[in-house]
Amino acid sequence: MGEGFILLKGLRKEFGELVAVEDLELKVQEGEFLCFLGPSGCGKTTTLRMIAGLEIPTAGDIFLRGERINDLPPQQRNVGFVFQNYALFWHMTVRANLAFGLMVRGAPRSEIEREVGEMARWLELEDLLETKASRLDLSAMQRVALGRTLVTRPRVLLLDEPLNNFRPGLREIMRGELKRLQKQLGSTMIYVTHDQEEAMTMGDRILVMSAGRKVQLAAPRELYRQPNSLFVAGFIGRPPMNLLEVTYAREGDRAFLRKGELAWDVTSLRSTIEGGLRGERAVLGVRPEHVLPVEEADRRGLENTVVTGKVDLVQPLARKKIVDLIMDGTLIKMVVSSDFPVAKDDQVEVVFHPQETHLFDKETERAIYNGLS
Amino acid sequence: MSEEQLTEGRPGTRSRMSVGQILRWLGALAICLVVLLPVVWVLSISFKPPQEWLAYPPTIIPVEATTSNYIVLFQPGNPVGGVATMVSSAEPVTQALINSLIIAPLATAASVLIGFFAAYAVSRYRVGGTFMPFFTLTTRMFPPVAFAVPLLVYYRILGLIDTRLGLILMYTGFTVAFSLWMMKGFIDGVPRHIEEAAILDGASPWRVLFTITLPLVRGGLASTALFVFILNWTEFLFALVFTSREAITIPVQVSHYVGAVGRFYGPQAALGIVASIPVVVAGYLIQQHLVTGFTFGLVRE
Repeated sequence: MGEGFILLKGLRKEFGELVAVEDLELKVQEGEFLCFLGPSGCGKTTTLRMIAGLEIPTAGDIFLRGERINDLPPQQRNVGFVFQNYALFWHMTVRANLAFGLMVRGAPRSEIEREVGEMARWLELEDLLETKASRLDLSAMQRVALGRTLVTRPRVLLLDEPLNNFRPGLREIMRGELKRLQKQLGSTMIYVTHDQEEAMTMGDRILVMSAGRKVQLAAPRELYRQPNSLFVAGFIGRPPMNLLEVTYAREGDRAFLRKGELAWDVTSLRSTIEGGLRGERAVLGVRPEHVLPVEEADRRGLENTVVTGKVDLVQPLARKKIVDLIMDGTLIKMVVSSDFPVAKDDQVEVVFHPQETHLFDKETERAIYNGLS
Repeated sequence: MSEEQLTEGRPGTRSRMSVGQILRWLGALAICLVVLLPVVWVLSISFKPPQEWLAYPPTIIPVEATTSNYIVLFQPGNPVGGVATMVSSAEPVTQALINSLIIAPLATAASVLIGFFAAYAVSRYRVGGTFMPFFTLTTRMFPPVAFAVPLLVYYRILGLIDTRLGLILMYTGFTVAFSLWMMKGFIDGVPRHIEEAAILDGASPWRVLFTITLPLVRGGLASTALFVFILNWTEFLFALVFTSREAITIPVQVSHYVGAVGRFYGPQAALGIVASIPVVVAGYLIQQHLVTGFTFGLVRE
């Protein structure tokens, strides 16, 4: 592991009164595809711009390959940046756009020609080389933006929501292209997005940010299975995790989570809960795909408290259905296979998968346990 | 067959022109009349002999068309329209024409150049905060006459009175605020990301300025230049106060066509027509850039 390829230490950025990034610690490995994920305004783009040198940190240090680069001007960092709106040089041809970085660096003419030609072939821009950048369609703009950044062989490639302007179908294709490209080049990439699905499919690891702070840094599967807070639990996964407010109560030597009439026996988790919970108010989380019809749970030998709900809405998808249940005035979403018979106003009995529930402290919003049982 | 189609098509085309469209055309025509009438009137007078200048009822087409008004511009000794008492005391127009053709373009170039760099500094580096760019406008907040007397003192000391350099400096100073504000608008319209992309490619600030920003605001530069050029070309007050013989400009020359019996409207109109030619030519030449200048911001972001 060592030093890490990019290392952020106590990074902080203020814009006047506003603290955009606060005490960020991060170690990025060489060749890693890292996603910054968070709602807009959470500081992910600002962090990216600080790494590129476009913003000066208020405090903290940035290291690139062990070298502190805080004072290195952006021109000398050899960091590639693909902007959200591509930032092409509209008044130049595609060829001139691709050649710009090399030209500025004073590369010999023959090399520029070769590299631009190669890049154009690879990105399928050969027929567009003499077209003005302002006349391209979105997909071509994207490819030019990538090409003009990659042609200088940056040590690090930073991408700021580059797929935002794509229509849904093309977006999935481009995700794959980018991921393949990154593996092929073996370059270190940091990819900013507010789309959790994008982050989950692309990132080797994901840094979830909120309000300028790091919330959780983990591999996609870990984020999904072990969210460390209510924020991550609600942000990762679609449809989002069901979150029920419950109270924790001891009864003799047994322990329960109660919500109205319902009670879940958590005696076996007593010490974990009491170690993590400050008061008695907690939030029980269960993903829609882990809300199981009783029959299925029985078949799989999974036992838990039976919850009865009235079907409010059924949304059929290709191979699944999303079912909205109303239980005591609380909405519970569940995902079932499409052959599960269910209609509006049916009474449905479900149980929460006992190994896949999460408990959070209502006050601190931190996770107490994830999926243990 | 095809002929039949043609004759059939005709009434169809006509009926497609709705009442609303006809009204719109009439409206456009009316606006054109209002705008063009003074121009046509000046053109008309410039070819009229003295007895027709103030004739009632007025005519658009001169009854006895003459070119003597134009000849008088260059040979002021000739009596206007052959009337013996109407001899202008004005100098030949050549001097004023040359002066204007030197002063206005140079002052425009200086103003737009300074304005561009100042606007870039204000737009990108927030130089001067919010106060300084606003402060430049103070030159336009007072009636120009208020500046005339103190400036006259400065110019006397510096020996700039009645010199082309004097007017160039003054025009540059008075229009630079316009240049700054117009160019600031155009530069603000260039997304910062484009410049940042160039910086990350390794380009120095100067290189970014000249190879990225400047070409992108070319249209804005052209519109600003045309606007400032028209201001400079038509400026009268300072030219009147600060010049006497050597450096007089066309607007001042126009005021010189006065005789013992009153104003010489014919030569004044003739000079007006001559003076408008450079502006029309300049406008025509940069027309194409004007279009790109005004639409750039709409196309992207």
